[in-house]
Amino acid sequence: MRAGVFAAAPRLAALLLGAACVGWTATPLLHSGLAGMALAVSIVAVTAGALRLALLEVPEPEHDYFRSAPVRAWLVFLGVLRLLPWEEIAVVALIWLEVLHPARPWHTAALGAGLVAYLLATHIAESGAAPGRLLRRQAKVLLAGACLLAVGAGFAMLPATGAGAGSALLRVLAAVAVVAAAALVLPA
Amino acid sequence: MSPVIPNVPGRLDGPPVSPGGVAGATAGSVAPDSVATSRTEAEVRWRPSRHARRLVTLAVAGLLLATLTRRPELAGLAAPGLLLLGAGAARPGRRPARPEQVGVLVGLTATRLYEGELAAIDVAVYGVPPDAQSSPTDNNTEYPTPWDAQYDTRWALHPGRGVEPASATAVNGTAARFTFTVPRWGRRQVGRVDLVLHDRWRLTEGRVSFTLPVVDCYPHPAAQRTRVVLSRLPNRLGEHPARVAGEGTEFTGVREYVPGDRQRAINWAATTRLGRLQVNTFAAERSQDVVLLVDATSDVGKPGLSALDLGLRGAAGAARAYLDARDRVGVITYQWGGARWLPPSLGRRQVYKIVDAMLAADAGWSRGAVISRLPRAALPPGALVVAFSPLLDDRFVEALRDMRERGFALIVVDVLNTEPPARYAFADVMARRIWLMEQQAIRFSLRELGVPVVHWDGVTPLDLPLAPYTRRPLVVRR
Repeated sequence: MRAGVFAAAPRLAALLLGAACVGWTATPLLHSGLAGMALAVSIVAVTAGALRLALLEVPEPEHDYFRSAPVRAWLVFLGVLRLLPWEEIAVVALIWLEVLHPARPWHTAALGAGLVAYLLATHIAESGAAPGRLLRRQAKVLLAGACLLAVGAGFAMLPATGAGAGSALLRVLAAVAVVAAAALVLPA
Repeated sequence: MSPVIPNVPGRLDGPPVSPGGVAGATAGSVAPDSVATSRTEAEVRWRPSRHARRLVTLAVAGLLLATLTRRPELAGLAAPGLLLLGAGAARPGRRPARPEQVGVLVGLTATRLYEGELAAIDVAVYGVPPDAQSSPTDNNTEYPTPWDAQYDTRWALHPGRGVEPASATAVNGTAARFTFTVPRWGRRQVGRVDLVLHDRWRLTEGRVSFTLPVVDCYPHPAAQRTRVVLSRLPNRLGEHPARVAGEGTEFTGVREYVPGDRQRAINWAATTRLGRLQVNTFAAERSQDVVLLVDATSDVGKPGLSALDLGLRGAAGAARAYLDARDRVGVITYQWGGARWLPPSLGRRQVYKIVDAMLAADAGWSRGAVISRLPRAALPPGALVVAFSPLLDDRFVEALRDMRERGFALIVVDVLNTEPPARYAFADVMARRIWLMEQQAIRFSLRELGVPVVHWDGVTPLDLPLAPYTRRPLVVRR
C-alpha cells in the first residue's frame, strides 16, 4: 500500500504539473489556428505522457498467436504510448504556444519553472529515483536556474529601444549575474 | 515485515522464500539462502538519459525561439536546462571516471521448484578495478567502489516467458531480491535483469543487461495417500500385506503351534481357551512394481488445466505415493507412436528422475522405443500400470488393449476435461454427438476388457476416483 502510494505520487505530480503548464500557457485563450493546434498538441502530449507513466509496469502479453482484436488494439496503443517522446512534444508545443502570446516576461519565467518541474517529476516517476535525494543534489543548480529565469524576465522588461546609461548598466549587471550563477554551480 | 509463504510439501531445494522484494542480499554478496550463485562481469554502456534529452529539447527550443522572435525571456526559459546539462558535463579532477565494467553476483534460492512455488533471485553489484585482470575466482567483490557515491543503482527484472514476478520488478540499491513463481511446469528462463547506473545529475546512464539462469519447474504433484495394490505381489520385501503368511505386522489368524515357530508368536489367550499351543500368523509384506504410463500426445484444454498438465501432475503424485510405500516405480512417456521410459526403481530420488524424464519428453519429439516392444526392464511382468491419458489417440488406446491382453494389470486415469465447443449448425451438433459417443465407446471397450477407467478432474485428490480400487487388492484376471 505504502509502496503503491510512493509510486503513484510522482506520476500524479507529473500529470498535475503538465496540466498546470498547459493551463498557465493557454490563458488567455487565443483564437488563431496555430494557437489552437499548439494547445491541442500540448494537451494530447501531456495526457499521453501521463498515461505512459501510469502504464509503465504493464507488461506485454506473452503469447504471439491468435490475439483478439481488442488485445491487438491495446498492444498498438501501448506501442504508440511508449514509442513517441511525449514530454519533448509537450515542451515544444507549450513554448510555441507561449510565443504566440504577446510578450509577458514574468509569465514566461513562471512557465520555465513549471516546465523544469514537470520534466523532473516525469524523470522521478519513470526512473524511481528518490525525490528528496535528487532535489538535494540539484538544489544549487536549480536555484541558479531560477535566478537566471528571473534575470531573463527582468532583462526582457528593460526598454529595448532606449540606449541610455541606466539601460546599459542593467544589461551589464544581468550578464554579470549570469556568469556568477554559472560559476557558482558548475564546479559542484 | 512480510510473512513467509509456506512452500508446498516436499520442497525441492533451498529454504522458504518470503515475497515482497526483500533486500536479503547485501552489497557485494547475495543472500545466504541462495543455493546457486554465479558471478559475471560486464561492460557498462553509457549514454545520455531520457531526462537529458528532454532538457536539451527545452534548452534548444527556448534558445531557438528566443533568437527567432528576439524575446530574451525565452532565453531565460532555456537557462535551467542549460545549467543542468553544463553541471552534468563538467568533470573536475576529483571526480572518478565512469566505471567501464562492473561485476554482478547472481544467486538463486532454488534451481528446481514446483508449480506456483515461490523462489527468489538475488543480485548484487561489485566494482571491478579498470586495470584488474578479473576472473571469476578473484576476490574483487569489495563494495562500495570509489564511484558508489556518484552513481545511483537501479535494478529492473524482466521476467521470462512463463515466469510471474511476485514482488516489485524494479528496486533501487546495490543489491536486490526479486521473488517469482512459475505457474506451469517446464524448463523456464527466469528472464533478464537490467542494472542502470545514474550519475549525480541523472543526465547519463550506464546500462548492464544480463540473462538469468534457467530453472526447472516440476508439475505440482497431485494429492494421493491411498494406493492400488495388486492381489499377486512379487516375492520382494515391501510394505503391502500379501495374501501369503509371512513375517509382517498385519495379523491374519491363529493356528496350532508347530515346532520351529517363534515363542513370541504364541497367542496365550487362544492357547488357554483350547488347551493346545496356538500361535498368531501374520501376512507377508511385499512390494510391487508400478509403471506410470503418461500419454503426451494430446495437450487439449485450458493451459494449466490441460490433459497433459493433469497427466503430469497425476503421475508425479502417484510416483510419490508409491515410492513412499517402498514400491519400485518407473515411467513410460508415450508420444506419437514412440515412447521414452525409465525403469522402475526405489527411493526418493526416483521421484525427481521420473519428473525429469517426463519433462525431457516434453522438450521435443524424439524417436524412442515402440510401446509394444518395450524391454522387460521398462515394463516388468506382473507390474501395475497406471495410465494417465485423455484417450484421444487411437494408437495409445490400442497399446492399452495390447498390454491388457498381455496380462498387465491396468488402471486408466482419464484426464480429459474439455469437449468440443457447442455450436448451433446441424453438422456441428452431429459431429459433437458422434465425438462424444466415440469417446464413450472407447471407455466402454476398455472396461469390457477389464481395464478400469476413472475420471480425474485435476482438482480433487487422486484418492477419490481411485477409491473403489484402493480399498481391496486389485484382482487381475489373466
